[in-house]
Amino acid sequence: MRLDRHAGPALLAALVAAVAFVWVTPFLWTLVAAFRHESAGSAGMASLLPDFTPTLANFRLALESGEFGLYYVNTIIVVVGVLGVQLVTISLAGYAFARLEFPGRDVLFYVFLVQLMLVPAVLIVPNLRTTVDLGLYDTLAGVMAPYFASAFGTFLMRQTFRGIPRDFEEAAAIDGAPWWAIVWHVLLPMARPGLIAFAIVSVTAHWNEFLWPLMVINDPANHTLTIGLATFTKGAEGAKEWGVLAAGTLLVMAPLAVVFVAFQRRFVDSFVFSGIKG
Amino acid sequence: MHVIRRLGAGALAAALVLTSSVAWAQTRIEFFFPVPVEGKLAREMTRLVKQFNDSQKDIEVTAVYTGSYDETKLKAQAAAKAGKPPSVVLMSANFTVDLKLAGDILSLEPFLAAEGTTREKFLGDFWPALHANATVDSELYGVPFHNSTPLLYINATHFKEAGLDPAKPPRTWVELVDAAKKLTKRDGEKVERHGFMMPGGYDYLGWLMSALSMSNGGRYFNESYGGEVYYDTPSMLGAAKLVEDLVYKHKVMPSGVIEAGGVSTAFFAGKASMVLLSTGSLSFIRENMKTPYDVAFVPRNVRNAVPIGGASLVMFKGQSEASQQAGWKFVRWLSSTDVLGGWSRFTGYFAPRKSAYDTAEMKDFITRNPDAKVALDQLAYAQPWFATYQTVAVRKALEDEMQAVMNGKKKAEQAVKDAQRKADELLRPYIDQTALKLP
Repeated sequence: MRLDRHAGPALLAALVAAVAFVWVTPFLWTLVAAFRHESAGSAGMASLLPDFTPTLANFRLALESGEFGLYYVNTIIVVVGVLGVQLVTISLAGYAFARLEFPGRDVLFYVFLVQLMLVPAVLIVPNLRTTVDLGLYDTLAGVMAPYFASAFGTFLMRQTFRGIPRDFEEAAAIDGAPWWAIVWHVLLPMARPGLIAFAIVSVTAHWNEFLWPLMVINDPANHTLTIGLATFTKGAEGAKEWGVLAAGTLLVMAPLAVVFVAFQRRFVDSFVFSGIKG
Repeated sequence: MHVIRRLGAGALAAALVLTSSVAWAQTRIEFFFPVPVEGKLAREMTRLVKQFNDSQKDIEVTAVYTGSYDETKLKAQAAAKAGKPPSVVLMSANFTVDLKLAGDILSLEPFLAAEGTTREKFLGDFWPALHANATVDSELYGVPFHNSTPLLYINATHFKEAGLDPAKPPRTWVELVDAAKKLTKRDGEKVERHGFMMPGGYDYLGWLMSALSMSNGGRYFNESYGGEVYYDTPSMLGAAKLVEDLVYKHKVMPSGVIEAGGVSTAFFAGKASMVLLSTGSLSFIRENMKTPYDVAFVPRNVRNAVPIGGASLVMFKGQSEASQQAGWKFVRWLSSTDVLGGWSRFTGYFAPRKSAYDTAEMKDFITRNPDAKVALDQLAYAQPWFATYQTVAVRKALEDEMQAVMNGKKKAEQAVKDAQRKADELLRPYIDQTALKLP
């Protein structure tokens, strides 16, 4: 028996919609719960249907529990600072591993990749010690420092550079361009999708990071968003104020979500191009 | 492996530089605190510290929020190793043994001696059940700050509906299972309301399992030797079987691991009729529960017994003399009768000092909130909280296995055996250094 010509696509659409709904439910719930009156009680908390009279009380409570403005600024400093340095280091390292010939290059590259296997928790004490020695303890620079070099980014840029035909560089070299001009004017523009893909991974990772900032930072003036949020999500023995929790979570994730939606097409293209998906 | 680590000279130097950089005589110290219940408490703690800072000019305390209990320990110890030890830390009450064995915290005996008092006199005002977790090898290492025990919360309306008397909550495991069966509402195979629920997340689960094994006559750990836990024992097996049966035999408790927040939410929502939660949740439940509820002791099988929980103030090594003195002053202030009483009324934890209950405010509070009285009465049956070498890892050995039981992936018999094996492996280095180090 043959399916009706329209049934196939319709079925597929329904299936995709169902899967999408499962994925989007937590976000939807967060959105709804953040605007729900506390008087709805916990009984109504699980509901996905929004109330008729939304309230901003949860946001007020969340904002009162911490200086979110400060947390935003600190988080942005960390994320931008880390990414800025990373883009330089991974481009240069990626170029070295992709194009330069030197003894032990491949061995060095694989040794470099080994750090991807390390559980970050193992590095907390050694990293913290280095941070203290460098005089960066309890500073935002201390939060950023361990991430200035990235094995994943180096790997990604090496692969991206290797995917670019050498003809372009050779043409530039014939015109007398030095190596740094080749990297800057020829390779980097062509590697832009790889850089964007890496930027997304890096920004989300450091935006959401909790443990390392918690270790380095003492001064409340240096707190990042995740630590601010944790003051009302990490309760051990009590119950949860779900509405405030949802509002706080929304405050933390909103900027990233907005940026992603705004540049969605570009991001997806970059991921497809650079070969990292999902 | 060195059980006792020597403090690096660098740590000392760093601490000296830190304090001497302050121009006038004011001493700056850091106080690490976790948020044991919810955000409101972080605000209240910050307010208390500000009050201390404003009350005098010699000491400036920086209050540093440090995540959960486990993260607080991780951060404080990492900071100490990196040469930046905090002065005072509010630490889960059962971490003192581990911290002392690691050589991270100060004995508080010299401070007591300087005040012309003794440990016995000092602890005299604290509830007897708290003494064990505050002392290690007969020396004072922690000052109890807020404490809790597990408590059974019941929905009075559900009890009446099911023909049970809410004034007579279950006292034994038999009565517990019986009541849970009557309270569970089913719609065919689907359970609409569970008779019983308990949190299954890390930390909470280990604590509740120790409550159940203690109620079954067990001890969970060796109070006088940090190298032994009693997982593969009849008392723990009985407790593990009870949990397994509640889920899979009687079907009165949902399967899977549910965190404390989910359990209290289910209780508020009327989706669970009885829940096992901390006395630390009492204020929160009192404020949020819309229908009548009551509280009762944790039901027993062999005897009434619960572990204490909560947190103590400890002081880290590696501080200058001035910082140490400042830290001790702050500890004394935080653990004064008035501060402890106020914090207790705000949170629902009970105050570790008996004298806190002699104040007019507290008497008035207990009269208005008789449920707080039940929590207090259960203290007579309280036991020390388990504390061993590598406390967190050893606790997780049991918790991982119990979570497998709650998920239906393992049987209780196998789970306690595997938990014991894992715990013994973790304790091995300490055992080799101590009990099995023979001449």
